[in-house]
Amino acid sequence: MEKRAGSGAGRRTRREGVLLRVRVILDAFEHLVGGLGTALLAFVALLWIVLVGLACAVGIGFLLAPGLPRVVRSVADRERSRLSRSGPEIIKLGPAPSGGLRAALADSVVRRELRWLLIHGTLGLFLGLAGVTAALNSVQDLTYPLWWRILPRDDAAPTFVFWTVQDSADAWGVALVGVFLAVIFLTLGPGMARLQALPGQRLLVPPADIDLSLRIAQLTATRAAALDAHATELRRIERSLHDGAQNRLVAVTVLLGASRRALARDPSSAEAILDRAQYAAEQALAELRAVVRGILPPVLADRGLAGALDGLAAASVVPCKVDVDVPGRCAVSVEATAYFVTSEALTNIVKHSRARNATVVARREGDRLLLRIEDDGVGGADVRDGTGLTGIRSRISAHDGRLTVTSPPGGPTTIQVELPCGS
Amino acid sequence: MRIVIAEDDPLLREGVALLLRAEALDVVATTDSPDAFLEAVDHHRPDVAIVDVRMPPTHTDEGIKAAVEARRRLPGLAVLVLSAYVEQAFATELLAAGGDGLGYLLKERVGRVEQFLDALHRVAGGGTAIDPDVVTQLLTRTRPDSGLQQLTARERDVLALMSEGLGNAAIAERLFVTEGAVHKHIRNIFAKLGLAPTDRADRRVTAVLRYLEESRRHG
Repeated sequence: MEKRAGSGAGRRTRREGVLLRVRVILDAFEHLVGGLGTALLAFVALLWIVLVGLACAVGIGFLLAPGLPRVVRSVADRERSRLSRSGPEIIKLGPAPSGGLRAALADSVVRRELRWLLIHGTLGLFLGLAGVTAALNSVQDLTYPLWWRILPRDDAAPTFVFWTVQDSADAWGVALVGVFLAVIFLTLGPGMARLQALPGQRLLVPPADIDLSLRIAQLTATRAAALDAHATELRRIERSLHDGAQNRLVAVTVLLGASRRALARDPSSAEAILDRAQYAAEQALAELRAVVRGILPPVLADRGLAGALDGLAAASVVPCKVDVDVPGRCAVSVEATAYFVTSEALTNIVKHSRARNATVVARREGDRLLLRIEDDGVGGADVRDGTGLTGIRSRISAHDGRLTVTSPPGGPTTIQVELPCGS
Repeated sequence: MRIVIAEDDPLLREGVALLLRAEALDVVATTDSPDAFLEAVDHHRPDVAIVDVRMPPTHTDEGIKAAVEARRRLPGLAVLVLSAYVEQAFATELLAAGGDGLGYLLKERVGRVEQFLDALHRVAGGGTAIDPDVVTQLLTRTRPDSGLQQLTARERDVLALMSEGLGNAAIAERLFVTEGAVHKHIRNIFAKLGLAPTDRADRRVTAVLRYLEESRRHG
């Protein structure tokens, strides 16, 4: 028993090992192809530098020389973004320093880029060509016995094969070469890809101080966006205070003024006016309450997003399942928005959908908060027909987020919200 | 006095209409948008329009634009603009369009019915009525080298009351001075602002405008 279980586990790990190996090989191939691309660019840039150098002998080169750092930088930035895709991010540096060749050469970053260009344009190019050629030829040669007959007679010899293929035996010989090439690629390929990336990883990483200042620039940009969202939110609050509570209170003063005049003239008519004034004052209070609650629901601060959404679901008349997996905290206003969307959606579900079940799912993907609210009701919800969703939409767009409502007649209704976390 | 009201908040619109009708004034139309307002002006040809600054669609200065347009269509139409807060750019925009019979009041002044009716009648009679708050704000925001800065405290008081649209007698009463003293102050104000020394109504309006203009350019 024990032995069989053991061998089963062994088979499984072996299969996983093979899968892992296949992935490593495919990755290596992909990296070598990408590296070949930038190496070709580097090679062309090297050629260009040599040509410009030669042209300097007749004078024209001096006109072209100042543009060289920019050429080098753009090639280097391509390699930077290529390496960032498969490894730790290397920040792109943008345009090269202007101010002539001498100034550029005084820049340590430019000097390192030149060293990289020299290595990548030669050794990197060789590695890329060798790796890609070995991989492609191994596939071609391995499958050669299957299709060599359709080739024209006198052209029937692939690369690296020095005999003319005339019968199956010759073709199987080619396949042997394919096996040899494949073994070479399988053993050396990943190492070659690593070796090819190495100069870039060493030489193209910006020095620590530059790295930091670039990082600060990036953070400043995201912060500015966050402040923008904040300002929009403040405008929204200002608008709702002005259009709601303030106007109600003005109406109160107007009606009070009117009722005082009425008291002096005809006390019996004052009663009706005072009644309206009181109604206006109550309206003002209700508006104020709504605005204040709309700024930040206290439950968010007390129990976080998960707790707050749980609370909403528990209060819902339609049974509602909540599944929140949002590690860390998002910006408070973002969480508040998520809360209000859910609250509004659940209210609508209870009022209009005739659903029997609802689900709320919140996830964090990178720096985005994803929220999905579903029901199994009759559908046909329209964002435009004055449901609370219109207010929600403006709130979401203030945060640069996205709201999608799908609600075909007959149901079900799905509301999806995507918000930048802002943290 | 035939009045058209343009105010998008229903409670407030009906409140003002109620108040004016109780005073036996003739409110011929109440409207809730600039378009409806201009239509009502064309149709009823009122003497006075009471206009809210913020109206749909963007809730910024539609009211001012509508008021200026209404005066273009119906010259001599007196306009009293109501605003939720002091926005001197709007006040200036309105007054810069020129002419008599203009007023700019904070909304809550409507509750002080006597003063409100007073302002309304003044505007209807071709005078001006600028909210005391607007005036105060303008006075604190002028350039050091402007003529306004050379005014004494008392002269500023007089100019402020003038902006509200009060006549010499009313100003004298408010400041507990004689009418002669007010007259002297006004002459000094005109001199310091470089205006011809007369206290005809249009001079007074010019002084107020000067005031608004300066603070708009340098505020």
